[in-house]
Amino acid sequence: MSDMIVVKDFSFSIGEKEILKHVEFSLPKGDYLSILGPNGAGKSTLLKCLLRLHEKGTSTGEISIAGKPIETYSQKELALLISYVPQAGGWIPPFTVTELLKLSRFPYSTSLSSLTTKDLEAVDRALELTGLKHMALRPLKTLSGGERQKAFLAAALAQGTPIMLLDEPASFLDPHHNSEMEKLLINLNKEEGLTMISVTHDLNHPFKTGGYALILRGGEKIFFGKVEGLLGNGVLEGAFNHQFVYLEHPASKRPVIIAE
Amino acid sequence: MSSAMKLSLLIILSLLVFIISPFFGLSFISPETIFNPQESDYELFWRLRVPRAIAAFFAGAGLSMSGMVFQALFRNPLATPFTLGVSSGASFGASLYFFFGGATFAFLGGVGPLMASLLGAGLSMLLVWLITRVKGGFSTVIMLLAGVVINFFFSSLVLFVQYLSDAHDSLRIMHWLMGSLAGLETARLVDLAFVVLVGLVVIRLMAQEIDLLTAGEEIAASRGVNVQYTKLKIFLTASIMVGSVVSLAGPIGFVGLMVPHACRLILGWSHRILIPAVFFTGGTFLVLCDLVSRIILAPAEIPIGIVTSMLGGPFFLWTLFKSQKTGDLF
Repeated sequence: MSDMIVVKDFSFSIGEKEILKHVEFSLPKGDYLSILGPNGAGKSTLLKCLLRLHEKGTSTGEISIAGKPIETYSQKELALLISYVPQAGGWIPPFTVTELLKLSRFPYSTSLSSLTTKDLEAVDRALELTGLKHMALRPLKTLSGGERQKAFLAAALAQGTPIMLLDEPASFLDPHHNSEMEKLLINLNKEEGLTMISVTHDLNHPFKTGGYALILRGGEKIFFGKVEGLLGNGVLEGAFNHQFVYLEHPASKRPVIIAE
Repeated sequence: MSSAMKLSLLIILSLLVFIISPFFGLSFISPETIFNPQESDYELFWRLRVPRAIAAFFAGAGLSMSGMVFQALFRNPLATPFTLGVSSGASFGASLYFFFGGATFAFLGGVGPLMASLLGAGLSMLLVWLITRVKGGFSTVIMLLAGVVINFFFSSLVLFVQYLSDAHDSLRIMHWLMGSLAGLETARLVDLAFVVLVGLVVIRLMAQEIDLLTAGEEIAASRGVNVQYTKLKIFLTASIMVGSVVSLAGPIGFVGLMVPHACRLILGWSHRILIPAVFFTGGTFLVLCDLVSRIILAPAEIPIGIVTSMLGGPFFLWTLFKSQKTGDLF
């Protein structure tokens, strides 16, 4: 399959501080990439560079999305390709769930146009896929953390892009909502065919989603490959400067990693 | 009741107040007299009260819309033309104009105070923008802090200019700083209406972008908004509106803070609905305040700025306490 995202020798600095150093990877269309690494490794920065969200800072190297250099896209064109789910626990917009989802149709609109049937269908489908239909009219402020994060995911989904980027989408959620969120992400990747990149602190996340893993440390890539490559070679120990225990899940047989 | 119905009601109510208000004042003008040029009230109605109601309407609409977009842009309930330094910059420009007097700038004619205010507003905006840029990006917190600093700076300069002025100019500046709609020229009224109407169209065309910026800059950018460009465009539009109002009527306080919050409590946050609501409500609010300022100590007239603050303060506190319960306000 063709590569959807290609990052070549990419470095990014703010002032004197180099945050990403010669990062390289490529992700095939419809695949899942988990970005791991200790705090301050540059994970979120990389995600923001892929979205062109950084207003300050200088970069070298190349990022290509769907075969074209990222800088050749206008912000609206880029929004037709990539959607974004922010970190949980941030600013809560003063909108209802549906209002938030409708805003995601902005890339398809003109200044005075109202929402088309296609827009409303996309919003409806996103609500259905995330199981939020029954709380569509509720203000985001009245939702629990887990429900709200689902609403942000639904909003990204309503954008109707082939690529979705997620910044620690489940970090602050309780085990139940965390598991629900992961199931949703896996479903969107496997059933809907979305190319997904997720920044995560959960070392078990890549083994649930499959696909690829990228490990950053101090802004440098220290591992990129299929998630299975993370096992038994000291990669994680080297990245996090910590020891881990590797077990097998009794039911699913997938690896389970526990920090010592 | 749906938002569209609430908005329609608000517009009808606003237009009614706007149409009725010129009949009231020191004396009531009978509706039969306004179409008869022989009547003494004819002149009073068409030459004084109607232009004044129009001025109050556009001044209120301009200040309210500026407050609305500043609050959305900075996601901060305290962001207003005042807290961002735009009003005090415009006041400084106008004070300087009064200080140097009409003689120096006689060639500008009646448009002098408008230009001086716009230059002042532009200067304060440029300074806020430069401070924000130096710190990198277009950070909301930095911009708000820069606005507060610039506000204090220009307010001090206004006081300094007032200190240097002779008694006549000093009184003129003081009276103007309290905000007044008395003695307006028709030509200036047209300038103000033009600027506010253009502002309305520009802001309405950006309603979706403003909604998205309210949702957060990262969300906005990821949905296709060119955040830096949009923020600059909104900031510029709102500042020009504020500069125009301040040049004409002085820095009338509280309107830009109170009207948008009140409208949000009634209609929610979608700017497609909120923009026309704030335009009409802000305009009507100032028309009413002007009416109060003319009749409360009649035949004397108190500056409108005093009325807006006296009415606006308690009302704002009420909305604030109400919204704390319902969580509707930021």
